[in-house]
Formats: sequence, C-alpha cells, structure tokens
Amino acid sequence: MSLVLPQLLDCLAAAMAAEVAPALQLHGTAGAPDPHYAGGSAATTALLLMLAASEARHIAARDAAANAAALADLGPAAAGRDLRAAAWGERLLAAEATGDGLAARAVLACLAAEAASEWASLVAGVGLPPPVPIAE
Amino acid sequence: MPAEHLAALLSARWGEPVAISGLKRFHGGSARQTYRFDATGASGRHEALVLRRDPPASLIETDRFTEFAALQAFHGSAVPVPEPVACETAAFGSPGFLMREVPGGMAAGLLEPEPYGAHAAAIGAQLFTALGHIHRADPAAAGLASVAAADAARLRLDHWRRAFEADRFRPEPIVEAAFRWLARTPVPAAQRVCVVHGDFRSGNVLHDGAGRLLAVLDWEMVHAGDPLEDLAWACDPLWSHMSGRPGATLPLREAVAAWEAASGLAFDAGAFRWWQVFAQAMGATIWISAAREIVDGRSHDPVLAFAGTLPYRFHMVTLSRLLEERW
Repeated sequence: MSLVLPQLLDCLAAAMAAEVAPALQLHGTAGAPDPHYAGGSAATTALLLMLAASEARHIAARDAAANAAALADLGPAAAGRDLRAAAWGERLLAAEATGDGLAARAVLACLAAEAASEWASLVAGVGLPPPVPIAE
Repeated sequence: MPAEHLAALLSARWGEPVAISGLKRFHGGSARQTYRFDATGASGRHEALVLRRDPPASLIETDRFTEFAALQAFHGSAVPVPEPVACETAAFGSPGFLMREVPGGMAAGLLEPEPYGAHAAAIGAQLFTALGHIHRADPAAAGLASVAAADAARLRLDHWRRAFEADRFRPEPIVEAAFRWLARTPVPAAQRVCVVHGDFRSGNVLHDGAGRLLAVLDWEMVHAGDPLEDLAWACDPLWSHMSGRPGATLPLREAVAAWEAASGLAFDAGAFRWWQVFAQAMGATIWISAAREIVDGRSHDPVLAFAGTLPYRFHMVTLSRLLEERW
C-alpha cells in the first residue's frame, strides 16, 4: 500500500461527497444526505473498513489463543467468545458470593487479557496504541 | 431537512421573507441531528444558525427540550454556550431547536493526538474552570428536577443499569461485574446537588485553535446530580486522546485544582474512585446500546457502528483493569 491511511480516508470521503451524494440527490432518493454529511459518513465508513480488515486478519488466532488460555479453567466452555464470557461471568459471580478476592481478581485478569487482545487486533491496522490510563 | 421548512419558520418569526442558504448537516452527534445554515431576510438581516433536532433512532434516549433549557440557563454566564434562539415541537419535522452558530469553532476528534497542541494547558484551565462553574449552578435554574444528595449516585446507577439490561445482547461479564461493584460499594452523598452536564468531554467543546475555549455543547444528557459524575467522565481515559492527561489538557491534579477553584467544592478522592468506575460502566452501556441499534437493524449510521466497536473495546480494557485493581 503506497498511500498512508489519512490519504486513503480523505480520498474516499471526497469521492462520496463529490460523486456519490450528488448522484443520489439527482436521482431523487428520498432523504439523500447532503455532500458534507455524506463525506463524513464515508470517512467513518472507511475507518470501520480498516478496523474490520484488521479484525478479520487477527480474529482466528486471537480466539484460538483465548480458548487455549482458558481451557484448563473452563474446559469445553472455553470455546468461543460468548460461551467463554458467560463462563467467566459465572466464575466471577461465584467468587463474589464467597468473598474470594483472589479468585475474583484471577477471573478479572483473564477478562482483561482477552479485552486487551481484542483491542490490539482491532487497531493493529490503524496504528493506535493500547489504552493509556490517566496518570495520577 | 428541507430548507423550505426553515424559511417558512423564520419568515414567520422575523416578519419578512427569509431565504435559506448553505444548509449542511454535521457528521456525528448521534444523539441529535445537527445542521448549520445561513438565513437572510428581505431587509438584509443575516444570521448563521444551527439546528439540532431529534433523529428517528438515537444513541441516547433524550428529553427533547432539556438541552434548550440548559442553553437558556447558561447563556450569558461564565460558561460559554451557543445562544439559544427557538425551540419547536413540529416545525423541523421532529422536535428540535435553533441556536446561533459559534464562528471559528473547532472540536477535537476522538482519535486526534494532542488536539490542542501548545495550547493544551490553556484549554485545560478553561475547560475545568467551565466545568466548575456549571457545578455552581442550581438545577432549578435550568428547569431540572432536583434529587436528594444521598440519592444522586443510586439514581444514576439505577438508570444506567436498566439501560444496560435493556440493550445487552450477549454475555458482558465485565460490565455486569462493574454494575455489581458499584451496587455493593458505598459512595458518599453528593457534596452539592448541582447541574450535571452529563457528557462533558473534549469532543463536546469548541475552541478557536489558539487557546480559547469558545463553547460547551451537547447538553442533551443534562440532569441534577453529583458533580463528581461530570468530573469522572471528563477525566475518563477514552477522552484523553491517548495522552494520559484528562481531555489531553492538564495533568489530573491541575485539572482537579482548576475545577475546585471554580466550583468551590473539595475533591473527594474516595468518591471519585466510585465515579470513575461508574463513568466506564456508563460508557460501556452507551456503546452497547449503539451496537444494539445496528444489530437490530434500526440504524445503519456508521457513527453508531463505530461507537459499538472501538470505544466499546477501549472501555472493556480499562474497565476490567480498574475492577481488578479495586477488588
């Protein structure tokens, strides 16, 4: 890829604003957006495409790693984000009910690790760093 | 938004034929649809105006006229806001209001690093001073129903927990854990029940690019409550532009000092820790609600799709770490 991301986004936004939106308006499409708004939509859509492409590249490896990391704790419930999330949620609830802080923190650490991995795979293609906490 | 509707409304209000030009809709702002335009009367009178109206599907359920009342309450005060002009139930196709455009105003983009450049400290001082001034205001002056100081946190927690339960569509153990933590962790009564902006953050203010804060926008979530709710939201890491400083402006201590000086309130670090978790649980709920609009096919707005993706994942990281630290 020779163009940097901002250039690609600007190009896509300008194309939507200058060509797609006026064409819709000429065609008489009810509620067609004005070019300025369509340009903004195009830029956001382009960013979403970049995020989706990054996610698509990484999701299989990410999910396999999360599954492997949770397998010893959760067994078959480790397979797939929703099943795993529900199982971690039950573990956390049980730890809270018994006041077992060690177990609760362990579950939260697993959830935090998977959340960090989900963030990283989403933004790998747009070059964003990990979330930066507010310094106290 | 047909220009003819605006022309008819303003012609009636001005008592002369009014022509509309330069009508364009701003991108973003999913809670309301926002347009700017120029109105020119037959006499030569000219005004640059902004229309905010309700969309068919909204990121946040809003009271239609609360935002207008808040602008009326703060216009001409130490809190810079756009001048409110008119509020209408049906004239705009959906409930909405007109306000004067703030010329030369710029807003920081969420992913824009260091949006204020060399003026970060100056903007930060004005930003947190403005927030302190908001917190001096009596909710009744903005037409807001007051709440008991001891109930402020619980009412907000109940509100957002209900929203989360209504819109969740898959297991969310981090958000569930956050709401449970908030429910079982005591929080002191509000030092003062005041006007809470409800969405006070870097993207909701206009600046001139040269270190001057021009206006505080987007009052659709305004309510009476605990001022620390606003302070925690304004200092949330999502709005820090990856800088580690609230709103990419001042270090936290200096931001808090500016807020204390303007509000006349003392910073309560313990209560603030509760409101920090609340802010992230609220944020997560907003992003889940946005995603639900897309999942259910009620909207194809890319802003909602973005909200349900990137800010959601950001808060999953920060909220899980916050809970792990505070268990």
